[in-house]
Parts: sequence; structure tokens; C-alpha cells
Amino acid sequence: MNEITKKKRERVTTPCLVVRRSRSPPRSLSSPRVWFVNSMDNKGPVLKTVVLEPFIKLVRLLARAFYDDYTTKSDNQQKTARSDNRGIAVVVLDELTRKQWVREEDLAKELKLHAKQLRKIIRHFEEQNLIMRDHRKETAKGAKMYSVAVAATTGGRAEDKVKFHTHSYCCLNYPQIYDIVRYKLHRMKKKLKDELEDKNTVQEYGCPNCQRKYNALDALRLISMEDDAFHCENCNGELVVECNKLTSEEVADGDDNARRRRREKLRDMLQKMEKLQIRVAELRCVLGGCDVVHGYFVVDAILRLLSVDYVLFFFWLTKKVQIKPLMDQINRVKDLPVPDFGSLIAWEARAAIAARENGELNPNDPLRSQGGYGSTPMPFLGETKVEVNLGEGKEDVTSNGGDSSLKVLPPWMIKQGMNLTEEQRGEMRHEAKVDVGSSKLSDDKKSAMESGDAKDLLKDEYFKAYYAALIQQQQELAQKQRQEESGGEVVAPDSEMASTSSDRQVGMKSKREEEEDEWEEEVAPVPVAGNGNYKVDLNVEAAEASSGGEEEEEEEDIDWEEG
Amino acid sequence: MFFHIVLERNMQLHPRFFGRNLRENLVSKLMKDVEGTCSGRHGFVVAITGIESVGKGLIRDGTAFVTFPVKYQCVVFRPFKGEILEAVVTLVNKMGFFAEAGPVQIFVSKHLIPDDMEFQAGDMPNYTTSDGSVKIQKECEVRLKIIGTRVDATEIFCVGTIKDDFLGVINDPAAAA
Repeated sequence: MNEITKKKRERVTTPCLVVRRSRSPPRSLSSPRVWFVNSMDNKGPVLKTVVLEPFIKLVRLLARAFYDDYTTKSDNQQKTARSDNRGIAVVVLDELTRKQWVREEDLAKELKLHAKQLRKIIRHFEEQNLIMRDHRKETAKGAKMYSVAVAATTGGRAEDKVKFHTHSYCCLNYPQIYDIVRYKLHRMKKKLKDELEDKNTVQEYGCPNCQRKYNALDALRLISMEDDAFHCENCNGELVVECNKLTSEEVADGDDNARRRRREKLRDMLQKMEKLQIRVAELRCVLGGCDVVHGYFVVDAILRLLSVDYVLFFFWLTKKVQIKPLMDQINRVKDLPVPDFGSLIAWEARAAIAARENGELNPNDPLRSQGGYGSTPMPFLGETKVEVNLGEGKEDVTSNGGDSSLKVLPPWMIKQGMNLTEEQRGEMRHEAKVDVGSSKLSDDKKSAMESGDAKDLLKDEYFKAYYAALIQQQQELAQKQRQEESGGEVVAPDSEMASTSSDRQVGMKSKREEEEDEWEEEVAPVPVAGNGNYKVDLNVEAAEASSGGEEEEEEEDIDWEEG
Repeated sequence: MFFHIVLERNMQLHPRFFGRNLRENLVSKLMKDVEGTCSGRHGFVVAITGIESVGKGLIRDGTAFVTFPVKYQCVVFRPFKGEILEAVVTLVNKMGFFAEAGPVQIFVSKHLIPDDMEFQAGDMPNYTTSDGSVKIQKECEVRLKIIGTRVDATEIFCVGTIKDDFLGVINDPAAAA
């Protein structure tokens, strides 16, 4: 166990930082299952890694529980077997769980649905807040930007079909879905409960003498001055409250149809209950006891016998869906950080960076076209930073001249106990460009850096000696820091910053932390998930984040060297 | 719920009001006629806020009266099912209690009062919880939800419930005193 992973464990236990890693991304789904979110909590923005899986399951359950009989047809339209498109909403939602932002046109094509039909469904979901939508008038460039984003997130190539009119995009609104499901369940429970308890019904009154019926809406007429009670208008007899559960049988003629319907419903329910493998004997016993009963009465009694959660049960009866998995899932999801893809533009920007990180330098990159439509909002052009996950030994953060092999770690990054491959230790590629003052890197400069390798080899020997000493210092510091941390749990980012900024080169460990903290301080960094293992800072002018960061640190070295 | 709407009414005016103040007379008569009335369609007319237009008068055959079509803006109050209202209790009996929210009367029957509230007879009949902390009696204010309305041509009557979250007594004069 090397120190960094140990450190990571420690960090995980601190309450404000949740780091989850999905070990094995599922094979069938091409989009990344892990997403980084920057969420604000009371300790400032915290970088979280979010696992999509449970949310996807939630959406799928939600679709099946509530939207499986959704049709785009209005009720009065005749449903023929051919036009019966029930379940289409489930299909759409399922497909959306496999995507992030998707152009509705493409979605329609994939689902082999008519665009109009799909739009209707999507609008329905948008009204329910399940889906975020974005419409924009698109030029060729805008469409391309989306294609780039798709290529980045799915690993595939999106076809470059360019059209010059308004396109709509949609994406599941994960942050809302949890609340929506809870709200739906709550409403459902409440409705059923009210119904079962006859809560919001208007009280009925009956006259024992003349069998006249009144209800609470007649109350004003019925109240008499002599006593508290209501009196019959006809015979002035005192009215009695009717338990409308049991008296519905006697209600006058107009109710005949309603009664028959209710009976049918009851029979239907009972049949279903038998399917539920309720002990028939008990059922008979209850039914034998009360011949003339209201549907709910039976259900109520039976459920009391079986001590089943009658709301769940009732829902099962009416919807034929087990609502339990959905409830379980919502409980499971409760404490998980919510995946949030952000708005379409933000998402595209992130995806573009992911693409860049993977070494696909795309000419249509939205970030490159500065000031163009959808260029990333940059809060400030701060220092370039890079966070490298050393513990995992498999990251490929920088696009070091486009080589996709393991990144060669600079020697000052290598320390004892690290689990590195030969390649990573490799020859030392140290580009030392004395280029203080410019933190912006253009592409040609980057290439110049690589060519500068050779002349720096001379300094390698010197570096090696320096780093040997450095490592020792590092270890001491790390130990000290661990002690500190165990004492004071979470160090406030600011104070930590202050302490580390004075002696920046002291140790890689502290540097890493510092970077992390700086991360947390940034206004709106847009994290990127490609493999789910690295975090990239966006505050670089263009997204030469990685190489820029590397150089920045090298600049520091050079300062030291000169001074 | 309150609405600000434009209504129209044909006003009949006696010739003795004709003159310089015809318009003022027309408006004051309109206010007297309309304010406080209730129509099943629009609810209670609470107040007239302005006159949109006064049409041409038409002399009715056989009488001296003149009919003016008047368009006027007014505030109307119409209760709806599901609406939450605050009302003053006016009468408590064993069947439930009556309350008033402005012009509208609301009846809350006993089974729509929370189960833990019991009717207490006496010279001040009331509904009280078992621990006596909440008491519904005459003059106290309750927040209730309308679950049914009966809209006649000239009156609106509602049935309410306080058997739900956040409903019930909001101000008890007896407790405050």
C-alpha cells in the first residue's frame, strides 16, 4: 500500500469529500458511467465522483412504474391495436439513460420513432421535470460542436450531418429525478390513503324516518336553531350521520351504475388478490362475515389480517406493478451524490476537454474557437493546474505529443513506494523552457517544448541528485502532515494553502493536496470524465491544461535553479 | 380565489337622475346593486374598482326608465375545491363547525376534523384535543381546505376539512387572552 492511496482512504472518510470509483464500467453502455460533479456544500465546492448506475436503475424503474401505460393519444381517440403505443415512454426513457445530452433528431432516428411523436413524449417528460431540454438555432459549427461532444462521450463518431435550423437537445435531469420520484410516491400514497380513509369526501346524512339523504353541502339549510343536530327538511326528524361505506348499497337509483362499477372493481380486486396467493380460507372468512360490503372495506379487513402495507398492496392492485423495487431504489439512491451533466453548453465543453485529454485533437473543438458560440465561460485565467492520480498507475492525463501510452512521470513526481511502470519512470523528459510570465501556451509552443528535450538532458544529473534529496524531505513532511491530519481531521483549505504556498517545492504530496484544494476554490471548474480517473482544471485558456500545468511546475524548478 | 375581471350589466335609471350627475348616479347605483352579490358563475362581487364604459342609453317602451349597458371592473371572490382558506369559526355543534371566510360560509363536518379532537358541549361548545392544547370554538380562526362547493345561482356554500397537514387553528382568541 503506497502512501498516496492510504492518503486517499483517509480523505474518503472525511465527510465533505466523497470519492467513488466505479471499478468496471459496464460493457454494453458506451457512455461513461462515472461523472464528476462539482457541488457546493457548506465547505465550499467539493469534487465528487458520481456513479450513474443507481440513478439509471431508478429511472428505469420509474419509467416502468409510472409511464408504462403512457400513450401519446388522447383518451377520446380510438385505440386500435396498431396505434397502441403504450410503453413507448419506457423505451424513450431507457434510451435516455444510455445517453447524456442527445439531439432529439438523433434519438428519434435511433428509436425509429417519428420526430413528432418523440417530441410529444419528451415534452411530456419535460413538463414532469424529468428531462432538461435545450433548443438552439444551429449553424454548421454548432452542430459540429455537438458531434464532437458525442464523439468524446461515447468514444464513437457522430455523423457530421449539418443543418441550419433549430435543434432540440434533451438530457435526463438527474438532480431532479430523485425528488420527482419521491414526490410521485408521496402523492400516490396520499391519494390512496385519502381514498381508503374516505378523507376528502363530503359527509352524508340520512333521515331515519323518511329515508331522505342529505350531504354536508346542505348543512346550512339543515341546521336548526333549537339544538345542535341537523333536521330533515321534510319531516323535521333528526338526521344521522351515514357511514357511506356501508350504506352505499341503499343509496337511491342514480347511484346504481356507480354501485355496479364498484362491485365489479371489488370482484376484480379479489381475483387479483387470489393471484397474490392470499390464503383463500381467510379471504372466505372475511367475505362470509360481511355480505354487503364496500370494496375498500374488504381490502381493509384482509390487509389488516395479513398486516400488509395496504398502500403498497393497493398500488399493486391498481397498477399491476410492484412499486417496492422503486421504493428500495429511491432509498438506495438517497445518499448518493447526484450526477449532473449541466447545461448543454457546459456539457459540450467538458466533453471537448475529455476528447482533448484522450488525445483527439479536434479542429472543431468548441474551446478552440474562442469567443465563438458556446466557448467555455472562463471565470478567470488563473494558474494552470493539473491533478494526476498517482495511486492508480494507469492514468493518461496529458496528451504528451499525442502518445497514448503511459505518461512518463517527471522524476520529481516519483517517490518511494510508488507503483510505477518502467515506462513511467522512463527517461526523463524535462523540457525547461525559460518562459516565465506566460502561462498561456499555444500549440506550437507545446511542440517546441518537446523539441527542447535534448538540451535539458545535461541537467538530468543535477536533477537526480536534487530529487533524491527532495524525496527524503518529502517523506518527512508527509509523515508530519499525516500526524497533523490525524490530529485535526480536515484541514481548512485556506490555511493549508497558506502553509504550502510558501514552500511550494517541498513535497509532491503537499503539492497534490494543494492542487486539490485550489480545485475546490475555483469558481466553476468543469470536471471531465473520460476514464473516470483524472480531474482536469478548466481555467486554462484553451484546454492545454495538462501540458500547461506540467510546464508551470517546471517553471518553478527553473526558478529554483536560477536562484 | 380572488379575480379582477370586467363584467357587464344593464342598469336601469329613473329619469329623475338624468342631469349633470347622471354618470355619478349610474355608478353609485351600480355599486349598490352589485357589490356583495353572488353569482354562481363569477362568485361574490367584492368591490367595483372602475368603470370601463357606459353605453348608449335606451329608453324602454312604456316606462320612462333608460337602460345603460355598463362595463365595470370588479374584484370577485370565488372559492374552489382544493383551495386553502383562512376562516373564522361562527358556530360549533356536534355535527361539526361552521366558519366564514368573508362572504362564503364553510361547513367542516365532524369526520373531517382530526380524530383526536373531541366535541365538548357546554355554553361554549368546542372541539378540543385530548391534551387540551388545541381548541376550536366560536370566533377562533382556522385554516381549512375546501373539499366541496355548492354553487347555486345566488349563493355558494362550501364543505371544508382541517384533517390535513398544516390545517387547523391558527389563532385562538381564548388562548391569546
